[in-house]
Amino acid sequence: MKIIRSAQLLSILLGLWGAIIAPAGAADESKGLVLKGDARCTSCHDESDDGKPGFLGLSKSVLSIGKTKHGTQADGRTPTCTSCHGDSNKHADHKGSDKPPKPDRTFGKNSSTTPQARNETCQTCHQGGKHMNWQSSTHANRDVACTSCHSVHNNGHDKVRDKKAQPEVCYTCHKEQRTQMIRPSHHPVPEGKMACTSCHDVHSDNPKALAKSSTNDTCYTCHMEKRGPFVHSHQPVTEDCAICHQPHGTTTANLLKSRAPFLCQECHSHTSHPSQIAGLPINGGSALGTTQLGTVGRGCLNCHTNIHGSNSTMNSATAQRFRR
Amino acid sequence: MHTLQRKFRLSATCIALCSAFGAAQADEEVDALIKPESSVSVGVGQWSGDRHQQGIYDGQRDGKAYGLIDADIVRRDDDSGTWFRLKAHNLGLDNGEISGEYLRQGDIGVSLEYNRISRDNPNTFNTRLQGIGGATQIENSTAGGKMNPVTLGTVREQSNMGFYKNLLPGLDLNIAFKNEDKTGTRPWGRGGSNNFAEFAVEPINANTRQLEAVLNYTTKLFQLSGGYNGSWYDNKYNQVTIAAPGSAVANARNPTYLSVPLDNEAHQLFLNGGYNFSKATRGTFKLEYARATQNERLPGTPSTGSGGGQTLASAPDRLDARVDTKLIQLGLTSRPVQNLSVNANLRYHHMEDKTPVRNFASAGDSPDYVPFSYKTFTGKVEGTYRLDEAYSLTAGLEEKRQDRKLPVTVAGTLKDVVVPMRQDLNETTARLELRRTLSETLNGSLSYVHAKRDGGRYHAADVVSSNGVVNIENQVNPLNIADRERDKVRASFDWAPSEVLSLQFNLEQGQDKYKTSHNTTPDYGAGLSSGKSQLYSVDGAWTVNDRLKLTAWYAYDQSKARQSALRADNGGGNAGIKSYDLQDSGNSLGIGMRLEATSRLNLGANLEWTSTVSKYNQSMATFNGAAATYPANFDAGLEDIKNRMVRLSLFSVYALDKKSDLRLDFIHERWKTNDWSWLYANGTAFTYGNAAGLDGTYVTADPKQISNFVAMRYIYKFQ
Repeated sequence: MKIIRSAQLLSILLGLWGAIIAPAGAADESKGLVLKGDARCTSCHDESDDGKPGFLGLSKSVLSIGKTKHGTQADGRTPTCTSCHGDSNKHADHKGSDKPPKPDRTFGKNSSTTPQARNETCQTCHQGGKHMNWQSSTHANRDVACTSCHSVHNNGHDKVRDKKAQPEVCYTCHKEQRTQMIRPSHHPVPEGKMACTSCHDVHSDNPKALAKSSTNDTCYTCHMEKRGPFVHSHQPVTEDCAICHQPHGTTTANLLKSRAPFLCQECHSHTSHPSQIAGLPINGGSALGTTQLGTVGRGCLNCHTNIHGSNSTMNSATAQRFRR
Repeated sequence: MHTLQRKFRLSATCIALCSAFGAAQADEEVDALIKPESSVSVGVGQWSGDRHQQGIYDGQRDGKAYGLIDADIVRRDDDSGTWFRLKAHNLGLDNGEISGEYLRQGDIGVSLEYNRISRDNPNTFNTRLQGIGGATQIENSTAGGKMNPVTLGTVREQSNMGFYKNLLPGLDLNIAFKNEDKTGTRPWGRGGSNNFAEFAVEPINANTRQLEAVLNYTTKLFQLSGGYNGSWYDNKYNQVTIAAPGSAVANARNPTYLSVPLDNEAHQLFLNGGYNFSKATRGTFKLEYARATQNERLPGTPSTGSGGGQTLASAPDRLDARVDTKLIQLGLTSRPVQNLSVNANLRYHHMEDKTPVRNFASAGDSPDYVPFSYKTFTGKVEGTYRLDEAYSLTAGLEEKRQDRKLPVTVAGTLKDVVVPMRQDLNETTARLELRRTLSETLNGSLSYVHAKRDGGRYHAADVVSSNGVVNIENQVNPLNIADRERDKVRASFDWAPSEVLSLQFNLEQGQDKYKTSHNTTPDYGAGLSSGKSQLYSVDGAWTVNDRLKLTAWYAYDQSKARQSALRADNGGGNAGIKSYDLQDSGNSLGIGMRLEATSRLNLGANLEWTSTVSKYNQSMATFNGAAATYPANFDAGLEDIKNRMVRLSLFSVYALDKKSDLRLDFIHERWKTNDWSWLYANGTAFTYGNAAGLDGTYVTADPKQISNFVAMRYIYKFQ
């Protein structure tokens, strides 16, 4: 009997403790379950309703926004559910067992909210800094929504902001770049050491959505040695790296669009060996001169090795032609 | 009665326990959903064979065991909104990275990162060259010196720092600093004294620093972003000396001096602003001013005379190079009526090389410094009209006008050039796109772009007529300035026939037509005449059931170039015109599978396959009508180059308990190529130098690679 009484007493104490702590979350509606003042939403979209993120990524977790910067309530700038989805009274007030009407603004794949309206929602907060020129960007003007690439309820992992996972998001639309990136000569994007945004600023209106205001300025961020100026400059190098290089990937070494001498002969036509026909020496058995060396090995660059520019001051035409 | 009492007691106990631990369990469940997650993964993997090609960037080039250490540790103090993050990736590999961040969200933040990017050259260089990696290299003749197999490559070691501070409501300061040390070696070369190619290795030992400081001011109506960008390049070397084979006495070895990039720096100020005139109209502006300089002392001095130094006594010892870049851009986006949005943009970009034109040599074709400057005006207007709820139509026009400075001599007269040039270049681009959006089943777009480029008259190249050709320099229309008409069509459709199946189709076609003639005499219209590109791809995703998902994609792409070039009568070949028909095509396939096999076991598989073919067809017509002749010991036929890669990746993740997983990986990888770049036509290795005993370096390019990878990782997860 003593044991039973003790159990009853414990039950009462536990019950009281439970009664004290259980309503604590519900009573303070302004605090919310995950976002500020979300009680109206999370009374339905609670942990039992949540499509917990799984291996296949089939279900969408509403509450996982709590793992993100948006879900950091201590930052007074963070949104409520209705900041993004609208008051959604019809959705929230829906009674009955049938499917409720959608919230005022939705952002998923099958959303009926226009991309402009979706983007305006994000721009309520994200308009300054790097997003300054979003409205005039190519993406914005092709009906791309912020949520076409970004996942806001994302289990704390927004793929497009992860260097290694980002290309997969970009390849959703950019198929040509997907095939180029798996060519033998490529930037280390498939290996996760660079991302598309290493070179591109997709929120800006720069030409080709580049991170900098020109192709060369973008390339110089990693290839600063090409900036020069050199004592002997190679004209296309000063104009646009993409005249000779295809930065997404090629079958020719060093991301060249075409191999020597074909590439070089798109501009150069001279009386001597630069006009040579493409081909390979049959063997090394006899003397090899410049008229046989434009294709094999590094092609024209076997000799014209400083093709991006030369700082040689030797008093020789050799130096001026990027051979020194 | 007894029974009832017991029932009551059990129910009371149950309710009490549920209200106490039920709430605790619910809290735990909620926490699992809303609190940031962390994970640490430790494992070991082994490649069975070398991966010369596939391992160039991933730090796993050799067939050996590797440590696999990754971590993503995230803590958030909910009361203060403070984040602590430690992230590590590939710590056991040569390309590891680690970063840490402290952020009191909306207030202050600091981040630090260390990152290594290694890049291995896929080939092995068998050479007698000594001193590789340094600024003095010694070449030995085939008669002396030991042949060593050498692998070349570079490593970038980056240290990044970031700082963020919210100064006032709407006013943020961001500072980013990046320091990079790049070391290693890169294949290089030089034309030998007898027109032979000789091997050299460029030593890489440079430091770059980049600093960006930005102030962002943001209100609902007005946004401003301004700051400073600085970048510095510092090369440890300023010249490389290569001693030629011959005498044992250093001075008698007739060294070759190869120049390297010299130190340079750039400083940029920028201001970017936006103003919302109304909910429907926004104006923006961008202003940038940058100054780049290169003033390092050139190797040697006039007094040193010959060799690596300046040989023109009066030449300055510095380039005093300065390039100024200005950008002014104005933009307007507006929705004047409900269904129409307009985007207009005016852009002025001027890259002006202000380096003084001076003589650094007296010999050769172009002894003066040649500054190249480009002033580009671009105007763009684009409108999108929403036809109905589903369809919208976009039409746009862009006009680009470029003023290109022609090279001048010290005396200010137009300089002789080796390639024709153009002072004015204009391009007009028109685009039209029809889009369907907001449908649950079929969305997509159809677009067409037409661009026309032309320009002013050509500044002809210096005319040299010899070896059976006349004015050959001007028989080519360089690809970057030639008149060109470009057409591009793109169709893209997303089709979701059911909730579990989605398909995506992409078709892209592009065609460039170049005007090869620019009214020269004679005019054989050489250069690039046309280019074509096409891409067809299909992607699919099928959710078979709530445990199995399949994805697949296939793409075919092709690019073609047709070009011609004149050939002079020298080196054993007769004069004529060559026609090149170049083609690159690829087939690529990806298949993915994800399976929740049991509540504890997840399985995944990925297959990547790609096959490319590069074709180099060429023909030659001689001016004298005779059969084409070629240099001795030369084959003008080039075999197609085929590359094939297949990679099958399998993995399983088994949940040992709620907090830990065991992951097993298996990869089978194959790579095959018949790339002949480093081969003679008879299939033997191309050798630098000549048969008379110079150099003798040859390159081994492994044409086949098969390797398997097995790995096991223990993953611990926590919150």
